Amino acid sequence: MLDQFRLDGKAVLVTGGGRGLGRGMAHALAAAGANVMIAARTQEQLDRTVQEIRDAGGTATSFSGDMTDSAQVNAMVEACVREYGGLDACFANAGMGGGVDAEFWEWPDSAFEEVLANNLKSAFYTCRAASKVMVESGKGGTLITLSSAGGYRASKRWAYGTAKGGVLSLTKVLSGALAPHKIRVNCISPGIVAQRDPADDQERARRAQQGGFIPANRVGEWWEMGPLAVYLASDASSYVTGQDFAIDGGMLNAGLAPAKYRPHAEI
Amino acid sequence: MPPQTDYFDLTGKKTMVVGAETPAGGAIARAYAQAGADVALCVLTADEAVMRARVVKRDIEAMGRKASEYVMDVMLGKNVQVTTRQVAKEMGGLDIVASAPDLFVAKPIEKTTDMELARVMQVNFSSQFFIVRTAAEEFRRDHRPGRITLVTSVLGERSMIDTAAYASAHGAVYNLVRAAGHELARENITLNAISLGWMDYMDDRIDTSDEDGQRALRFPMLRRAGRAEEIGPTAVWLASEFGSAFITGQIIPIDGGLLQHQ
Repeated sequence: MLDQFRLDGKAVLVTGGGRGLGRGMAHALAAAGANVMIAARTQEQLDRTVQEIRDAGGTATSFSGDMTDSAQVNAMVEACVREYGGLDACFANAGMGGGVDAEFWEWPDSAFEEVLANNLKSAFYTCRAASKVMVESGKGGTLITLSSAGGYRASKRWAYGTAKGGVLSLTKVLSGALAPHKIRVNCISPGIVAQRDPADDQERARRAQQGGFIPANRVGEWWEMGPLAVYLASDASSYVTGQDFAIDGGMLNAGLAPAKYRPHAEI
Repeated sequence: MPPQTDYFDLTGKKTMVVGAETPAGGAIARAYAQAGADVALCVLTADEAVMRARVVKRDIEAMGRKASEYVMDVMLGKNVQVTTRQVAKEMGGLDIVASAPDLFVAKPIEKTTDMELARVMQVNFSSQFFIVRTAAEEFRRDHRPGRITLVTSVLGERSMIDTAAYASAHGAVYNLVRAAGHELARENITLNAISLGWMDYMDDRIDTSDEDGQRALRFPMLRRAGRAEEIGPTAVWLASEFGSAFITGQIIPIDGGLLQHQ
């Protein structure tokens, strides 16, 4: 049974893998036996994460590039195939919060386009390039997109929420289109998840306060993405496709009242 | 060709509202009457509920419509059937049924007894099942394009502490609407639900003397609780013969955007 969670010898690509949730997934995937390629813009972060994985006995390499540029995305997938002889699982994880602090009706085109490019276009390009390799190999594979609790409901992050809603639709659309080619497509929707370990007590306190809004009474940790990533990349989820996995401590399920609120009526 | 008519007019329609003593039921009954219908008011218990329904009855009669009162024991499918038959006979048929029973209970799951669970399921869910089953039977008898509207709660799809029994019952109502809506669609019977968020009369579940209770009332996008009379127009739309004829199996939230809250 546990063999089905193993990824030994599998080629796995994680965009945005230098830091944050991508780093957490890359660590776990490598620990499960995968040959991991992480991609991002910032070389120092890539180098650090690759080193961490190698220090832990895993196999990792990196590709430095801009995921909003389809030519660079295609080059990334080619580099992965060259390095590891194929591509079995691809996490279109790269994204950004960003934008500008302005009312919706004041938002500039440039900010909207930037957020959309980094969260939605990048996912589209990555899935497109990865699926092409998977289809042509005849072996299929698995694609994992990253949406967000912010893609579900009202939020002041208009462009981000719109883009993440788009990622959710991309997942569903592709699950049908790619299923005949033995490619599964699933999505991970994190709630509030810390991008790194807290730097100091002040940050720890701030997170504890944020956690008060979540049924689990805490925010998620960056490394908690790992086991879900392994499950979705592996044969353990071989009949699962087109699904979205919230990893949010119960946040999306609640939200009707403050998380700790108890109504009083008894029979 | 679309029918040349006022889409939302209920003139001449025979309607039955179960749980007419509840704020939602009363609002729906008044709205049906305002739109031109006669209304049979069914109350769940033969106590002060009757008095509350009598106020609704007077309002409806003041509009020049007919209203009558019945006591319906919704815990018993047979009683629902017999009372509905009586209503249909006395009104000369039945076109529209709404049902708004509501028994809220808040208890930790480990303290909820078997009996309490059974009662919450019966009042909130089984009653709705009986009403759908019986209403369909009446519509079928006269080959009428029936309309059924159930009142449910947003707790049917989202969580809150201490509501496991109540929320489960309403989750069951959600799927009753989908499953029975599918089943009845080929008979020209539509079945939909109105899912209520925080209403200003729900002091059993939102205690405004509690700071968190007050905060909960700011969770809807409109940043306020709803009012019973805000349910009426949606109920009329869902009951109308031509206004919603191709809509079935749907849950329509009247929640001020509460379900969009993170």
